[in-house]
Amino acid sequence: MSQRVTFDGVSVTYPGMTSPAVSNLDLEVAEGEFLVLVGPSGCGKSTGLRAVAGLEPVSSGRILIGDRDVTGVAAKDRDIAMVFQNYALYPHMTVAENMGFALKIAKTPKAEMTRRVEEAARLLDLHDYLDRRPKALSGGQRQRVAMGRAIVREPAVFLMDEPLSNLDAKLRVQTRTQIATLQRRLGTTTIYVTHDQVEAMTMGDRVAVLRDGVLQQVATPDELYQSPVNAFVAQFIGSPSMNLVEVPIVDGGVDLGECRVSVTRDILSLAGSPRVLLGVRPEDLRIDDGGALMRVQLVEALGADTYVYGTITTPDGDVTMVVRTTPATRPSIGDVVGVRPERFYVFSAEGEQRRLG
Amino acid sequence: MISRRDTIVGYLVLSLAALISLGPLLGVVILSLGEPGKVGIRIDIAKATNFGNYADVWEKGDFGAAIQTSAIITIVVVVLSVALSIPAGYAFALMNFPGRTAIFALLVLGILMPLESMIVPLYLDMRRFNLDNNYWSVILPQIGFSVAFGAFWMRAFFVQSARSLMEAAWIDGANTWRTLTKVLLPLARPQMLTLAVLFFVWNWNDFLLPLVMLSGSDLQTAPMALVNFEGARRTDFAYLGAASLITIAPVIIVFMLLQRSFTRGILAGSIKE
Repeated sequence: MSQRVTFDGVSVTYPGMTSPAVSNLDLEVAEGEFLVLVGPSGCGKSTGLRAVAGLEPVSSGRILIGDRDVTGVAAKDRDIAMVFQNYALYPHMTVAENMGFALKIAKTPKAEMTRRVEEAARLLDLHDYLDRRPKALSGGQRQRVAMGRAIVREPAVFLMDEPLSNLDAKLRVQTRTQIATLQRRLGTTTIYVTHDQVEAMTMGDRVAVLRDGVLQQVATPDELYQSPVNAFVAQFIGSPSMNLVEVPIVDGGVDLGECRVSVTRDILSLAGSPRVLLGVRPEDLRIDDGGALMRVQLVEALGADTYVYGTITTPDGDVTMVVRTTPATRPSIGDVVGVRPERFYVFSAEGEQRRLG
Repeated sequence: MISRRDTIVGYLVLSLAALISLGPLLGVVILSLGEPGKVGIRIDIAKATNFGNYADVWEKGDFGAAIQTSAIITIVVVVLSVALSIPAGYAFALMNFPGRTAIFALLVLGILMPLESMIVPLYLDMRRFNLDNNYWSVILPQIGFSVAFGAFWMRAFFVQSARSLMEAAWIDGANTWRTLTKVLLPLARPQMLTLAVLFFVWNWNDFLLPLVMLSGSDLQTAPMALVNFEGARRTDFAYLGAASLITIAPVIIVFMLLQRSFTRGILAGSIKE
């Protein structure tokens, strides 16, 4: 039975460390939801996942699976299944034995065990490999065996710790879709850890962004992209990253180079300092003669899109900007073009760099 | 990339090493087949035809009984030492308990202590427990020495063995015992076999401990029987050679039977790092 998972003020501090790896995490993963934990390395996403698995002891707070408090419960009694980054297949067992190991321990009747293993094998296209050992499989097949081992358990929760990071780029995209489809079909609550924001955005029902052990924002991919709560989330989500420039507040707005960007007084009054961060996504910058002058340094033509990298001179020095444009309007290296923000975000330049507008 | 020249040099070095280690052994084989009763060492391949030396030596040295004694002691020591080294190594590597570092340090100290330095108190202890002149007076101290090294050796395996495999087993519902027996030990087979061979060789060849512990009884181990062929004034080198080969034959056989397992790495393909 799929279950919801609740982090109730969870902190995890490793022995000998002064600051916690996960700090006071409050998060509820709904029954059947696919939640992605994302963040740069060292942000505590894996630690959080391992805390649910029972592999890391929680320093304070509670973890609930369904209505059951599992904080002190051993990993083996939590009714969870985990897919490891390195797959952790048992090398001396065949694919079938690997997938059936948990059922064997649970003393599942033989017929039932065979049925469930074969069903998972069919689902994952592993039927022809059931008698092979892991070393006779390709990377993608091993990854699927690791998935299969989780599926046959029919657990309350799937936990996945960067399961795609060992696959090559093409296979990763393929497998990404397969996992997301499979999860929706099985309807099992899933917590998925990745450092790749594209994976997070494409797979998750909701995405939780962590930084230094602290939850920054949890929202649907669209909401994260459209309304990030702070400059960190804004820059982490989206590729290429959002342009962030510290700009002075002037009468009626802010100055980006020579270009005045009008911002309402209400927003600027929240800043509490004479400067703010102006955030503009590459696709929201338009090449326009009246805009801020940018010297083009690099042009990346990717077919449908072209990314133009260049610098804008501000009173504080040069800042690098990225502009998405079409092949038709693409400038050459060395050109000076004007760029104007069509949509933008304003963040506080201080502290947590919260979004002001 | 190994070049052709490296390969040739490699073979040359290894052949030389093989010659250096096999040469003396070959000498002993020729010696053992020489004419008995002659004084001095004669390695003469033309006269190496006295196969009867082995039967004579077997009879005179009472090697049947000696090898049986050695075998009983060695097998018991090897089996119990390996069996005890595994949980000890596991505990030192993976369990958190107070005094872990201190106890492990003490254990390593035990490896460094030479037997000679404690043989007298050890003998007195055994006599106090009425164990002298008994198999256990050799077996128990040998297990003590072996487990000190064995725990050290197995700990190294458990420390470097993939942690995620263990975690996968826990999540699959396995308890500590099952994780150890069904997941970790199948992978530790090369390490366990190596340990067994080392224990076998050390114990089979050990001379001082059985000599001190068993000298008041009829029991004698193979190395003790061998020493009888070394006379105080006059040594029959053909017989000594034959007795030496009889003594070391079990070691060679065990080594040849198990040596292939050493190299069989079965961890391949389990995890992708």
